[in-house]
Amino acid sequence: MLAKLKPVLFVLAAAALAYPLMPFSNDYLLHVVTLVLVYMVLAMGLNILPGFCGLLDLGFVGFYGIGAYTSGLLTIHYGMSFWVIVPLACLNGALWGVLLGVPTLRLVGDYFAIVTFGFAELVVLFLTNEIWLTRGPLGLPGIEPVSFDFTWLNPDWYFELIGEVPYFYLAVAMVAFVWLVMRRIEDSRLGRAWFAIREDTLAAASCGVNILRYKVIAFAISAGIGALGGAFYARWSLFLSPDMFKFWESFLVLCMVVLGGLGNIAGALVGAVVLIVLGEGLREILPILGLAPETRFLAYGLIMVLIMRFKPAGFFPAIATASARNPLIKDLKKRLAGYASGEKSGTAA
Amino acid sequence: MEPLLKVENVTKRFGGLMALAEVSFEVRPGEILGLIGPNGAGKTTMFNCIAGVYKPTSGDITFAGKDGVVRTNGLKPEKMTGLGIARTFQNIRLFGALSVLDNVRVARHCRTSSNFFGAVLRTRSQKEEEKAIIEESMRWLEFVGLAKHALDNATSLAYGNQRRLEIARALATGPKLIMLDEPAAGMNPRETRRLVDLIHAILDAGVTVVLIEHDMKLVMHICQRLAVLDHGVLIAEGVPEAVRADPQVIEAYLGRGAAHA
Ligand SMILES: Nc1ncnc2c1ncn2[C@@H]1O[C@H](COP(=O)(O)OP(=O)(O)O)[C@@H](O)[C@H]1O
Ligand SMILES: [Mg+2]
Repeated sequence: MLAKLKPVLFVLAAAALAYPLMPFSNDYLLHVVTLVLVYMVLAMGLNILPGFCGLLDLGFVGFYGIGAYTSGLLTIHYGMSFWVIVPLACLNGALWGVLLGVPTLRLVGDYFAIVTFGFAELVVLFLTNEIWLTRGPLGLPGIEPVSFDFTWLNPDWYFELIGEVPYFYLAVAMVAFVWLVMRRIEDSRLGRAWFAIREDTLAAASCGVNILRYKVIAFAISAGIGALGGAFYARWSLFLSPDMFKFWESFLVLCMVVLGGLGNIAGALVGAVVLIVLGEGLREILPILGLAPETRFLAYGLIMVLIMRFKPAGFFPAIATASARNPLIKDLKKRLAGYASGEKSGTAA
Repeated sequence: MEPLLKVENVTKRFGGLMALAEVSFEVRPGEILGLIGPNGAGKTTMFNCIAGVYKPTSGDITFAGKDGVVRTNGLKPEKMTGLGIARTFQNIRLFGALSVLDNVRVARHCRTSSNFFGAVLRTRSQKEEEKAIIEESMRWLEFVGLAKHALDNATSLAYGNQRRLEIARALATGPKLIMLDEPAAGMNPRETRRLVDLIHAILDAGVTVVLIEHDMKLVMHICQRLAVLDHGVLIAEGVPEAVRADPQVIEAYLGRGAAHA
């Protein structure tokens, strides 16, 4: 079935990529799509914890916030280039991931979830109260947009990215990058160690996996990707405030991951599309029905209940699918097919 | 001969319950040692102490592993696997959502080293390592007779094959000693016969075996020596004939299960 869908998906992707260049392209639509792309990055980042490792993380938005404020503050105070900020923000996110992970990852189940929840709340409190650094509830306005500075080559070559179109492409590149990284990790020693932890922690340890270390690595990478999303968001929205990083966002990203199927990377992307589009739709529809826009949270909750009831494993429940595309495994598959048919003819003879 | 594994006066308490009381025995290289005893005698607890899942309350466990003779109590399970002790579980613990091959590939973790950067950059050494992992994993799957199921889902295997997969996974960690916790439980007679062959093949591959088993016929048949636990106390140790004749053993175990023997 997927093979038949492939050309259709390809055409859709090509159309989507060409759309922003069309004269009839619409800024609002582009904005929503870019938002979807940001959430795709976040969903892929969060997916590592509950999806790959089986760890319920309710504080993911904390790392998103850390990345965004790292990006915003470095831009405002030091005028750093986006291209320098991105790795710094990722490292800062990963650093906090490790600092939070090392003491707390010994906790299991609900206790761990509660601690991560507390962490995200602490980040918001910090952003709100440390006014000397973050300007608190006033937020951070006036963040410079992303620019390409080639003035060292030619004094005229300084390009600022203005409007929605370039950010759309930048976000596409970011999603493609994170997708590639996640797929490669999924089909590697690291990814298998995570899946083993998720499936059976004791058996994983018996296979020689250092559970705590691999959970911390997962936390660091997940946090780094969250921070990457934040770093982009800061330079795209050009304004930050602490209430953008409330617990609600963690829950939203978690819903995306669960909706798509825990541990399935493509599922995380689908989850991001569905929930952001739904959110935007409800934002339009609810006022018409005379309801406050906040009631859309109810709709999200309802969706979660329905998924849990009818599709508890999400829409794409398969995990560790990347290795099926690995040439080594394809090769093995061929060998096994030959082996099986050889065996059959062998018994017949 | 220098023992491979030496258990000396090991005691394990769970609160008020004495699961193991001053148990001592040794495992010699190249043998099959049967660890037997009635339900609740402490056999699985003994495995867990050796494998690093539990830390003995007191006593010493020493293993002549890859790093020479080391006192291992308190070491973590992954460290024990690294030293060369592999184990299976009484209740099958496979990675259910993964393929048969992936279950075994995970077990190569302790003998391989590529990390995040290798995975993302797909360096040459990472690719070579992945290839070697697949080859080694397939070798063990062939060894237990599951090669043709390599790309199937682990949970799609028949019960007996799931047990064999667990053994393949344990072997793939490259152990000197493998501990099998009731591997024949739930198997039909044919599967049990194949299991006996497999255990002999494991020995021939140079891996020492410790076996927990309820099926007395099986134990008497394949083990060179037996150690008998009852209520956490080691009540006998020796060759099967001697153990079978031991009055204490007959009372504690064979007496009640005479029909078995
Ligand atoms: N984690 C634990 N906590 C408390 N009691 C335990 C634990 N593990 C085993 N026990 C107890 O220790 C005794 C020995 O159990 P076990 O080693 O599983 O016996 P066997 O494998 O010989 O049937 C039993 O009474 C069991 O209830
Ligand atoms: Mg037991």
